[in-house]
This record gives sequence, structure tokens and C-alpha cells, in this order.
Amino acid sequence: MKKRLSSLFAIGLALGAALDLSAAKKEVNLFGWSEYVPQDVLDKFEEETGIKVNYETYASNEEMLSKLLGGAAEFDLVQPSEYVVEALVKAGKLEEIDFANVPNIGNISPAYMHRPHDPEQKYSVPYMVGAISIVVNTERVKEPVTGFRDVFSGKYAGRIVSLNDNRELLTWALQTLGRDFNAITPENIAAARPLLEKWLPQVKAFDSDSPKTKLLNGDVDIGIVWPGEAAILYREDKKFACLLPVEGSHVTIDSLVIPKGAPHKAEAEAFISFILRPEISVLISRAFPYTNPNREACKLLTPEELANPASFPKGVETLPTFKAIGKAAAQVDKLITDLKSGS
Amino acid sequence: MAAPRASTDNSAGAKREPRGIGWLLLTPLLGWLGLFVVLPTAILFVYSFCQRDELGQVVFSFTWSNYARIFDPIYLGIFGRSLWYAGLTTALCLAIGYPVAYFIGRSPPSRRSTLLLLVMIPFWISFLLRTYAWISLLKGEGLISSLLQAMRLLTGPLDILYTPTAVIIGLVYTYLPFMILPIFTSAEKLDNSMIEAALDLGATPVRAFTQVILPLTKPGIFAGVLLVFVPSIGMFAVTDLMGGARVPMIGNVIQNQFGQARDWPFGAALGITFLALFAITFWFLHDRGEVRR
Repeated sequence: MKKRLSSLFAIGLALGAALDLSAAKKEVNLFGWSEYVPQDVLDKFEEETGIKVNYETYASNEEMLSKLLGGAAEFDLVQPSEYVVEALVKAGKLEEIDFANVPNIGNISPAYMHRPHDPEQKYSVPYMVGAISIVVNTERVKEPVTGFRDVFSGKYAGRIVSLNDNRELLTWALQTLGRDFNAITPENIAAARPLLEKWLPQVKAFDSDSPKTKLLNGDVDIGIVWPGEAAILYREDKKFACLLPVEGSHVTIDSLVIPKGAPHKAEAEAFISFILRPEISVLISRAFPYTNPNREACKLLTPEELANPASFPKGVETLPTFKAIGKAAAQVDKLITDLKSGS
Repeated sequence: MAAPRASTDNSAGAKREPRGIGWLLLTPLLGWLGLFVVLPTAILFVYSFCQRDELGQVVFSFTWSNYARIFDPIYLGIFGRSLWYAGLTTALCLAIGYPVAYFIGRSPPSRRSTLLLLVMIPFWISFLLRTYAWISLLKGEGLISSLLQAMRLLTGPLDILYTPTAVIIGLVYTYLPFMILPIFTSAEKLDNSMIEAALDLGATPVRAFTQVILPLTKPGIFAGVLLVFVPSIGMFAVTDLMGGARVPMIGNVIQNQFGQARDWPFGAALGITFLALFAITFWFLHDRGEVRR
């Protein structure tokens, strides 16, 4: 009797393990930006492979880092921007991707590969990219606007919406001054200060969540917004002109990476390979019209979609990227907090 | 002070210590306090002496620098402004809320619950939704602006959204019920014969108010002021949404440290300083209140 019980117990254990294994095979935990991965792409993946995608979202790289490094949850795929990829690689927090399982990596334009954040392209695969766009409501603003100097000339004070992102604000000032925006040095901060001191009071509202709403409502006439939002505005109404500032831009490369110790690495690689397919990638482009780094997918886009100046601005592929600034973030935060309080 | 007051608390029964079953009944409360108040505060306290690494993770090496940074004029200035905004909000809530609370408290019991319900109903809707509703009310092409322009009281569009005025409106709106409810409770218990006695003894209505009604509703005012002032000083959502994130309050600074800046130790130091200030203020006010009695 005792023996039978224990053998039953063993069978139970084995069964449990088997069940557990099959369960482990059938899912992948994706931690991605909100409004960035279309549901139909997830459904199609699940339908084809039988792997269930658990999609959790975040609204900023920093929020993602808190959860990822907090270790409370186990993620298989994360979508950080390039400067966060750099920091994660340096800290040894990422798995190398087995590119034997991602044979279609060649679909990605070489322009977005081997960038400084992942020089050997071992840890990351570009998902969507983009450069921040200036959006002008041409019904209300008749003079030409070409860059930050025009936006903040003083003529449009109180009619501007800007992203509420301290590093971006500093970057725009440094670009206008022709300085290296990745060098957060005391000299650069001191140089940017007087310029930002003039700029910030002219902004009617800072909004990183949905700046396009304020442009659509007519609360403001000019916006400095995410490329995807700008592209949607342009798609809705051609009165919204989108352009890259003449002073300079940078391209953000949001990438798919696999965190160290991810429990479903093979499934994660299967997912990466799946979304690299042109016919899948084009679905992402249609839902969220950022710059698609997938050359093959771009061939499936209509000429009109390719002509959207926010989705595919001229020269976006050669723009420089952000570097990780580590502790200097505190200096940036202090500068912008100070300037906002002074205004 | 010879303020008349109801003699409800008798000091003989007030000081009884819980025993046996009493402690057992208290266990859930104590456990809850320990787990969700004491423990997080202790963690914050430890973090506030730590540093951050390149990735923004907390590193356990001792430093005073987070506290030193609080005394930077930038943060002191923001703290001062937060105090000013919260003070103004509290004063406005008191000015608007007191008459309302008194009126509800003095109305016949049958009507009281209906009136109270009207104060509470907004609570049934999400705070964010209500704030967005205010945005569409206040915006340049919004309802209030159009109405004022149609009535020819205003020539151009109303320009108060994304200004400090909008922030104050948002704060007063959000916290007004927290002022009304405790004052209502005091006003409801107010003994009518006290007021009648004052008037019979020749007090003018103003004098009856300042010397009888006001002291009797003081516990409600005290609770209301505390309930409005403390949370409004740390509020960040209203400043972001209705103020357009243009002028930061101390709540925004703290939120930033846990978000964008990823500087938890500094955020923790700000939080702990805040807590200490409130504790001292409360203790001071409470103590004085006790002495006066």
C-alpha cells in the first residue's frame, strides 16, 4: 500500500513535470510599450505556433527598467530603446540572441544594424525606429517653420505642445547650439540653460502621453511629438505638416531583447523571427506608423504610406542615436526642474 | 478658553488599555499597519541613505548626499510653492466648504442624506475622468469659454487651462469633499440650544458664530484642513494634466525621481523629509489643540 502510494506519487510528479514542460513551451512573456504591438499580430502568432503571448505594457523606458530589474516578474522579451539596450548590455542583463533561430534578420536595413549600442548585433533586433517630429498646423501658422529656432522664436508662445521628456528638451537645445547631445557635461548644461530658459515658458503644455490630442483639438498650433503620433496626425489631416528640425535630430531604435535568464528563450526567438516577416511587419506599420526598419516590409507599404513625412523622413537612417548617460540623468532632471520652476 | 463644549469624553474611560481579546481584535489592524505603513516607510528610510548605479538601481552604500541635495534652492523653492498652493487650496476649500457643510448639517435629517449624496456622487467617477472633464470645460474652445463669449463677458477665448489658476481649480475641486464631510459631522452634532442661549443672552449673530458655532465645529475644521492640506501638497496628477506639467510641485519632483530620473534614493529622501515635516506639524497642532482644551 505504502509502495503503491509512493509510486502513484512519483507518477504524479512526472505528470506534473510533463505538464509543466508543455506549459513552459507554450507561452512567451512580452513586456512592451503600450500602443506598439497590434493585437492581430499577437493573435496570428498564437494561431500559427500555438505559443501564447502574455503581453504586458509600460509607458516609459524607466518604468520598464524598474519592473525588469526589480525581478518581480519573468519576461522573455522586452522592447527598450537603444540607449537602454546599451546600458543593459553593459550591465550583463541580456541574453545573446541565437540568430540561427532568426534567419530573416536580413530583412532589417543594415542602416539600423551594428549601431554603437550593440556593435556586434548580438543582443538586439530593431523593432520600430523613428525621429521626433515637429508638427505644424498650417491652417493657423502661415510662416514656414524649419526647426527649433523657428518654433521658439517667440511668435508662437503659448501655442506649443512639447514632449515632457527632460533629456529630449536638453538634446534639442544642444542640437540647436551645434553641441554633442550625448555629452551631458557641466559646460554643455551651462550652455543650454539660457536657451531653454527662453524656450520653456513658451510651451503651453508638456505632454508625453498624447500630445496629438492637443493639436487635434486646436489647443495648440505647433507640436514637438513622437514620430508615430505625428504620422497619425498627418494621415488624418494633411494640414498638419511634419518635419525634422534643421538643427538636427536623433533616431530612436526600439529593439527587441531577451533578458538574462528568460524562461522561454526559444519562443522569444520564434516571436522575433515571426515579426520580421514582411507581411507581419507591415501590419505593425499600419497600426503604428513609425519608421519601419524592415526593408522587405516597406516594399509592401503603399506609396502614400511611404510618403508620410513623419513615418519616413528624409535621412532618418543616418541620424545618430542616444547613448546611455547613467547618473548624469540627475543633472538633466535638476536643470529642467529648475527652469520649469523659474518660469 | 471658556468655549462651551459637549462633555462626551470622560477621561475615566478613555485611558483603558486593550487586554486579551482586545489585542486579538486589534491584530488585523496592527498587521495591516505594519505591512503597509511601517515596512514601506522603513524601506524608504533605508533607500534615502543609498546611492544609484548607472542603471538606476539602488546601491547600498551610505551617503548623506540625498538629504544635502534637498537644501538646494531649487527644491526649497518648489517646496515653498507647493506649501503656498496647498495653503491656498485649503483656504478656498474652507471658505466654500464650511457654509455648505453647515447648511447640510443643519438641514432636516430627511434632506441631509440626499445632500450628502450629492457631495459624494463625484467620487463614484474615476478621478482621471473628472480631471479630463475639467480640461474640456476649461479649454480655450471649451464650454465655459464659449458660454462666456456668447454672453459677451469675454472677447477672446478663455485662457486659464495649463496655468496655475487651473491647477488651483483642480485641487479645490478634488479635495472639497474632504473639507465638507468632517465639518458636516461637527455641524450635525451642534446643539441648537447652545446657539439659542447665545442669542438669548444678547449675542449678535456674528458673535454667536465666532464664539459658539466656530469653536464647536473646530474639530471638523481641524480634520478638514489636515485632510485637504496634506494630500494637496503632494499632488502631481492635477499639475501634470491641468497645469500642462509646466510648473512642478514637490509631488512632481518626487514622482520624477521614481520615473524619468530613476533616482529612487533622492526620491526617498524627499519623501522621508516630507513625512517628518508633517509629523512635526501635526504633533505641534495637535498638542496646542489639546492644551487649549
